[in-house]
Parts: sequence; C-alpha cells; structure tokens
Amino acid sequence: METLREYEIVRDGNIFGTSFGNNIVYSSEYDQARHLLDMLVAKYQDVAFDDVFSGSEIFNQAGACFLQKSRQNLTIPAVDIDRFRSEILNDLTLVHGIGPMTQARLKSKGYLTLPDLIRHPRFRSNANEVLKCLDSGSSAEIMDLLGYRHAKSHPCVLGTAGLHEPEDYVFFDIETLGLFSRPIILFGVGTIEEGNLIVHQYLLRDIDEEQSALTATLDHLSNDRPALVTFNGKSFDVPYVSDRLAYYGMGSLARIPHYDVLHFSRRKWKNHYPSLRLTALETTILGIRRDDDIPGQMVPEFYETYLKTGNCGPLVPIIEHNKQDVLSLALLFFHLLEESYGCC
Amino acid sequence: MAVADVIRLINVNPVYRNRVVYTETTEPVSSLYGMLDTPLGDTLESYLRQHHIRLYSHQCEAVNRIRTGKNVIITTPTASGKTLAFNIPVFEGLEADPEARALYIYPTKALSNDQLATLEHMAQFTGISARPAIYDGDTPQSKRAAIRQNARIIISNPHELHQVLSFHTKWHPFFSHLKFIVIDEAHRYRGVFGSHIALLLRRLVRLCHFYGSAPQFILSTATLANPIEFAGKLTGLPFDLVDEDGSPHGRKHFVLYNPFYDGIGERSTYQETKDLLVSCVKENLQVLCFTGSRKMAELVTLWAREDIRRSSARLAESISAYRAGYLPEERRAIERQLKEGSIKGVVSTNALELGIDIGSLDAVVIAGYPGTMMSTRQQAGRAGRKGDDSIAILVAFANPLDQYFMYHPHHFFSRSHEHAIIDTGNPYIVSGHLLCAAAELPLRETHDREYFGESFPELLSELASGDLIRKTSRGWVYSGRGRAADAVRLDGIPGSTFRILCRGRLLETMDRAQAYREAHTGAIMLHQGETYIVSEMDSETHIVRVTETDVDYYTQPLKQVDLSVIEVYETRVVLGARCAFGEVEVTEQYTSYKIKRKDTIIGVEPLDLPPITFRTKAFWFEPVPDTEQRITGSNLDLAGGLHGAEHAIIAMMPLHVMCDRWDIGGLSSTVFGENGEPVVFVYDGYEGGIGLAEKAYEILPEIFSSAHELVRDCRCEEGCPSCIYSPKCGNDNQPLDKVAAMIILKDLCSPTEKSKCSGMSAEPGKVLL
Repeated sequence: METLREYEIVRDGNIFGTSFGNNIVYSSEYDQARHLLDMLVAKYQDVAFDDVFSGSEIFNQAGACFLQKSRQNLTIPAVDIDRFRSEILNDLTLVHGIGPMTQARLKSKGYLTLPDLIRHPRFRSNANEVLKCLDSGSSAEIMDLLGYRHAKSHPCVLGTAGLHEPEDYVFFDIETLGLFSRPIILFGVGTIEEGNLIVHQYLLRDIDEEQSALTATLDHLSNDRPALVTFNGKSFDVPYVSDRLAYYGMGSLARIPHYDVLHFSRRKWKNHYPSLRLTALETTILGIRRDDDIPGQMVPEFYETYLKTGNCGPLVPIIEHNKQDVLSLALLFFHLLEESYGCC
Repeated sequence: MAVADVIRLINVNPVYRNRVVYTETTEPVSSLYGMLDTPLGDTLESYLRQHHIRLYSHQCEAVNRIRTGKNVIITTPTASGKTLAFNIPVFEGLEADPEARALYIYPTKALSNDQLATLEHMAQFTGISARPAIYDGDTPQSKRAAIRQNARIIISNPHELHQVLSFHTKWHPFFSHLKFIVIDEAHRYRGVFGSHIALLLRRLVRLCHFYGSAPQFILSTATLANPIEFAGKLTGLPFDLVDEDGSPHGRKHFVLYNPFYDGIGERSTYQETKDLLVSCVKENLQVLCFTGSRKMAELVTLWAREDIRRSSARLAESISAYRAGYLPEERRAIERQLKEGSIKGVVSTNALELGIDIGSLDAVVIAGYPGTMMSTRQQAGRAGRKGDDSIAILVAFANPLDQYFMYHPHHFFSRSHEHAIIDTGNPYIVSGHLLCAAAELPLRETHDREYFGESFPELLSELASGDLIRKTSRGWVYSGRGRAADAVRLDGIPGSTFRILCRGRLLETMDRAQAYREAHTGAIMLHQGETYIVSEMDSETHIVRVTETDVDYYTQPLKQVDLSVIEVYETRVVLGARCAFGEVEVTEQYTSYKIKRKDTIIGVEPLDLPPITFRTKAFWFEPVPDTEQRITGSNLDLAGGLHGAEHAIIAMMPLHVMCDRWDIGGLSSTVFGENGEPVVFVYDGYEGGIGLAEKAYEILPEIFSSAHELVRDCRCEEGCPSCIYSPKCGNDNQPLDKVAAMIILKDLCSPTEKSKCSGMSAEPGKVLL
C-alpha cells in the first residue's frame, strides 16, 4: 500500500505555501531532515536504547512505557493578581446586557465597579451572578465568563491563569504518527517544581505502550486544580488525546481550564509577524535557536524508521524537538502573562 | 387516446411495423390497500389524512414488519411509494423514543436533497422533532458539530461515511442512539463498489455496537433476482422481504423494437430513436428518451428538432436535452416546463433515471439496452401517469445482449434473472477496510470475526509485516502512515491508480489494468460520451495526459493472456462435461493496438507495456471428447468454436449476474488440460475476484443455455457482432467458428432445457400482439 505524506514540501521562501496551514515543510528543512535521518541511522547503528536515553521504564495498570525526565531552570514572573482583579471589577461589560455604550453611561452616573451595580435597579441581578462567579467560581468558570463576554483570546482570559499557583500548570505537547486516528508516540508534560520546569516525556518504545503513556499523562491532569497550557492544543492535542482515549475505551478527559497560547499569540501578533508557528515565535520573541531540529510534520517518518529498524537514533531529535516545544511553550506563556499582568 | 394512436401507428406504418418484434401489454391494475396491525398515532394519522393518502398493501406490510424490529428490504417498483413506507415507521420510532436517531444513506446529492425536502415537510407537519439534515462533503465545518448533536435524521452518502467513521468519538451521541439505518437505491451498491459498501457498513455496525446500539436496517431497491441474499451480503444480517406491489397503474405497452430485424440495419439505433421520439411528440404525447451518452443526447435532440421544424417551428422548440452537465438552474427550468407541459420531449442520459422528480410522462423511448434489466425497468417506469395508458419502447443495438432480447422477448418480460453480486471475501478489499477498522477501534481477532468473517485474522499478519498495524494488549492498532481511510478507494481495488488528466483537469482515475487497456499512448478514449486521444502515459507518476479530439477512427488493443490454475475449489459435471470453480493466476500483456475506421484496419502500432499479473476467481469447463470429435470430424475449427463459445458466454453473463461484460475476461485453449483437453475459462477481471464467476458457476446450466440460444438464433452465417464477436477481444476475434461454437454450447444444454427455450423464442421478425 502506498504510504501517504501528510505535508506538502514547498520551495523556500514561498510564503504563499504557508497559507495551506501547518502542513508544509520548506524544501531546505526537508533536505536537512532527510540528511539528519541518514546520519543518525549510521551513528546509532548497534547502539542500545539504554545507552542513548537516561530515562527509566515506568509501570502502571495499563502496562509499561519509557519516561525521560529533564529539568530546566526558568524565571517565573509574578502575576499582579490585584491589578487583574481590579481590572475585572471595573469591567461592567461582563454583565449581561451591558455593552461599551451602556458602560460609559453607567460610569458617568457613578457606577464605577461591578459591586456598585448592586444598587442598580435593572442590572442588579445580573451583576450579582457575575460577582458570585468571580468570588467563588473555579478558574474555568471565570474563564468561561470572561471568554463569553469578550473573546476567548482576550488578555483578561489569560489573566485568570494568575488565579493558579505555578505548580498547577501542565504544559502539554504531543508527537504523533500523523493527523488523527493514529497512535501518539510521545507525550511531553511540563510541570513547575521549585521554580524549575520539569519535562516528563512518555515515549512509546513500541505501539503497545500507548495506553500506559496515556494513563501516565492523565495522572498529571488529575492533580488538585490543574490548568492545561498548550500551543494549538484546542484544535490538535486535546481532541487527539480524547480520540485515543475513546479508541482504547479509556474514558474521557476531565474538563479543566485550558490556555491555548496560539490563540493569545494570534490576537497579539497576528499582523506583526508572518508566521505564528511555535518555532517562529520562539525565535522572534524569545531569541531561541534550535540545532538539528526536525519539522514536527516529519516526526512520523523518523519514528517509523525507528520502529522498522530498531535503530533508536531517529528518536533522539524527536525527544529533543518535543522537549524544546514544551520549554518554548512555557516561556511564551509566561512572556504573554507577564506582558499583560506582570508586576512592574 | 394518444397512446393508442401511437400503438396503432407503429403497428400499421410499414417502416415501424417490421421493426416491432414484440409488444407486451399489461392491463390496468387498481389499488390494493392494506391494514396496519396497530393504528398509527394521531400525528402520523392526520398527516396521511391531510395528504389524502391511504396506505397500499405493501406499505402496510413494510410498516408492520419494521415495527417488529426486523431488517426489511422493499423491492416494489419505481413510484410505488417506497419512501413513505419507511419514513412512517422511522418517524414513529423517533416519536416513541425522544433519543432515537436515524441515518439515511443516499448515493447522490440530488436524491439526498429530495429526501431532505420530504423529511422536513413531514417533520414540520407532524411536529415530530426529526430535525433532518444533510451531512456530506459540502456541509460547512462550522455546521457539522451542531448537526451531529441535534439532527435526529442525518442524510449522508457512503463516501462521507467512510471519511467520518474514524472521528466516531464526535458521533458518540448519534451512534449510541442510532435506531434505523435506511439505505435507499441499495441496488447501486453492487460489484466492486457494493463490496466496499458492505465492509463500510460492517465498520459502522461495529462502532454502533461499541456505543451500545444495534440499528435496524431498512433497504429499498429495484427488482433483483436475489433480494434477500443481496441484503444479507450488504449488511451481514437477515432480512424480511416486501415485494408485493399494491399501487395502481394504467394500461402499459412495452415495445421491443429492432432496427436490425433484417440483419442489416439501414438506420442506426439513434436515428430510429429520433423517429420514434418525433412520432410521439407529433401525437401530442409527453415523451422521455434515454441515450447512453451526453453526446448522443445532444445529437438526438438536434436531429429531432430539425425533423419537426419542417412541420412546426413551435413544436421543434418543445424538445430539449437534459443531462448531467447542466447547471441546476437549467435543469430546474426544464423540470418546470415539463410539468407545465410546454416541453413535450426530453432526451436524457441516465441522470433522470435516478429519481429526479419530474413526475411521470406518457411515453419512454430507450436507445439501446441500458445494461441491466433493473435500469430498463426504472427507465420504463417513468412512463405512466396515474391510471392513464402509457408506452415504453426499447430500441435495440446490434450487440449480442440486445439482439438476444429481440429474439427471446419472454426472457425480457419474465421474472428478473439478475443477481446483484457482493463479495465480502476479496482479500484486497477486505484488507483496506481492516486498516480503517483498526484505526477506528483496536481490532480483536475473536471478537471482530462477527464483522469481517472467520478468515480475517489471516490477513492481519500481512498488514503487520507491512508495518500498517501493530499488536497491543487491546488488539491490533493502526500504525501506518497517512489516514487509513485515504488508502481505500470505495470504487476500486487497491493498487496503483492512474490519473487521467485533460489540460491539468482530472477526468477520472483508472486502475492499472483499465489504464493499459483504454488509456495507453495513442488510444482513443471515451469519457462520458466525449472523445479524447491519449498523448502520454507516464508509468512513473501514473499520470495519463489526454486532449479532446474529434476523429473518425478508434483503437483496439491486442493482448496475450496466460492463465494457470492455482487451486480448484469445486467441481461439477454438466451433461458429462467437467466444470470447475477456483483460483487462477492471469497474466495479461498488451502487445499492440489496431487503429480502425469502421471495420477497416488502417494501422497497427506496437505497445511497450509490462505484463499485468493478478490472481482472481474463475470457472472453466472441458467439452466432452464426443463434442470435440464431432467438430474435428466435420472439418470445423475446434479453436474457433471454443473461442466463440467463450465470447457468447461472456456476452450473456450480464443477463444473469449483474455486471458489465468488461468486468469479465476469458481464455480458451484446445489443449489446456493435463491430457491436452480443450478448456474454456471465464474469470473476474479484478484482483482477488468480485464474485461474478462464483455466482455464474452456481447457475452454469442457465448460462450455457442462454449462450446457446444467442448463437443459435442469430441470423448471421459465420458469426457477427450480435453473437460471437466480442468488442473487447484481445485476439481481434480470431479464430471464430460459429457452427463449432453452437455444437459446443448445444452439448452443454440438456434436451429439456433446449426444448423449453425454443418453445419460448419468438419467430424472428414476427409481430406478437
């Protein structure tokens, strides 16, 4: 049966090619990656898995998989939560029935904050609802409220992240064998411990380890009050994981707050930068350069080479790529959070 | 009465009279109403009352049986109210269970749209919240989630279904409450396409079971010889049949009309069709005319207008073509004018056959047998307004099947002989769907036998060795590259596909064998009635480039066929002749092609194409030594006789087994067997076989006897295109010996069979009324 490539190779600099979404690889990237693959296969010929990767085998009720852990130092910005709160409380448009015009009129009449509206005959009950939510709602409910009255990518929605402790964040990025209906081969999960980013990477040494890796990943999402952070996860990573859980009859993902950094980035930088891919943003915004990276679209052929030959060389750049994705995701998230709500 | 006038005209007019070989008249039948076991609820009852509908007997029977939860197949004729027969119990089911959902599968967009309108009307009138919606390739992404969530009847098509099954998690609410699967026009799902749909439906049922539902199937088809077997193969489930029609119809005349009655045929089938069309229009009948291609539809229209213009310019404007390429607005305008009566004659390709609603007309003229009795009945079924007289005329081509009907009208009007074939055992087709199934849910060797048959685990190891699936503790998991659904083409056997491009536009795709045969460099190729010449075939990229052309010649490839028997599955003896069914390996090599104008060869060009080898299923037979001796003893050509018998059998296969003669291949040899016996092979032209030879093997005596009648009753002396010449013969119809072929076939027919057949045949050229 023919194997199908799920990306287009386009000529370098062909900016029109990028309009086809994420499924393009520039020809220079492609050539480099193919070259890298050949090199790795030669270099890691007859080298044992355990000699290449320092991680360890883990076991859970669904079986075994491989865990590679790494630690990155990073500065976590403090969020000015009071500024966030006062901004929210001053935002009368959160109340159903109040738009910018009505808000201006109300403010001129002395209704400056949401609590002030308790005195307003018409908006009293709606304002009460909003205040109740802000007071005792979960971050997910507050996110929904803000996202509903504004756009889901509004900075104030990102601001609700400040309601969480850094330890709550789960930075998440997966590598797969293709676009949907195929196994996830690597789960990258970043968590904050004592000011460091710990990247847990659950790798499938063979396809039958996917259930174990899924189970291990779910454990991270069942903490006290986890908050998921992804890049394009709303469209890709999360539905993909849901799909795989259903595939194995393993239930479904719990509903937890989800910050998709792509959406906030798009709102902020849409007309500033030609590309909003994570690798492009990390270069322009964070000044990061990757060496020997492979385009995400080419991960399947690298992994397939490993599966076919047992040579673990092709796994090296996959793990590196995923680790860097999780790191860049965390950095970008904190960058955006700091720009909007950092303490000066 | 205008219809009677036309009947009188064609029986009196000397030109027409000779060509009318048979007229079958069916007397009017009045309605037969039925009773429901338990009455309908108020909403549906008042729906029927307000629309002045009283249910016919077959509609009641369908409702009664569907209510018991059985799978039901309805095979009553066109316009007998099949749609209502299944819409009523579906609505009843949706009303009784507010969670219940239904899936309607239609083969074309136009039919989906018609059904949507019907369902919307019914939902609105009854207040039953069916919320019907179409979910297909044109459904915008933004609306899809809402439709999956809210619609209780979803109308879709097999191609869309094939794509969405892997996203089944999104369909969870729909699948888990799926109560009915309605497949209208189910006879379209036969042959290779049908075998794919059968497996697609097994994947769907497997997912429904996973989500805890077990939907009931309701099928509606045209008349088939094997409805229950067909429905069972399509879905894998047992069925109840509803086939006794209770709807009324007026007096119907069906005329078999043979332009080649004298063995010559001075005017072509299309010219004769035009004449009949003109006569009907002049008699003030509304008439619908079917032609095989767009081009002929246009030409017949043009000729008819020119002809009528001589007597009336206004009447000439009342004839119009109607074909698939027209814009929706153009088509709707024609449909409207037909209903108003300002259009008298419409010439169409078979776009109209498939239930676009133009109501019924007075007369139908069919230019050439459309290939199946089923299509013929559907096209002829367009004639006949409520209770009024109607006429349908089949104008024959010169080819064997058409001519066979002209000489054996009883076969034409008797019960259907056509078996619709579905083969869920083709390993190539099954493998593709196993990949899809493994991408949908892990495949389990024991559990999934229910859907994919006892022997499917054998196929898994091959898929596993290709790294397409991998074994896990939960079963086999798809791990191939690319979406599994993209690797399966619902209308073909997997393998290399050639893309036919005309100025960069994709005309069609072909598998390798078809491309070598029809689209080699230099070939004159027909596509939807248009002519193209192949300028280049690139065997690396599998791209064939063609340009439009208008030449008066055609091309015919010549091939060599080699065949070896891999395994004999079964043998039987028919009148002493050993017959067998089994697996064979066929090697076909196209060596050159002829360029011909009419029957004259104007050139031969060599072809440089690699041989194609494939395994398939075949039946074969060895004439008894006595037959052989009588042929050689009379100085007849044994090779020519075997070759002629092979062609006659292949020509008659579509009468019994629904297929095209191009789906079947053959090989005959005077010294094939171990001891040098003569053998004739007939094989499925598809890798892995698609069940045609297998079905034919079951009914060999019937096939032999119709092939014998074909050859015996043809008026030619030495064989002609109406009997033993084959349009696809790779040996350029050499050698052929008609008398020897007749002896071979006669010896395969029992005497009782023979006398019965000859008793039924009409005297050539004689008018039976």
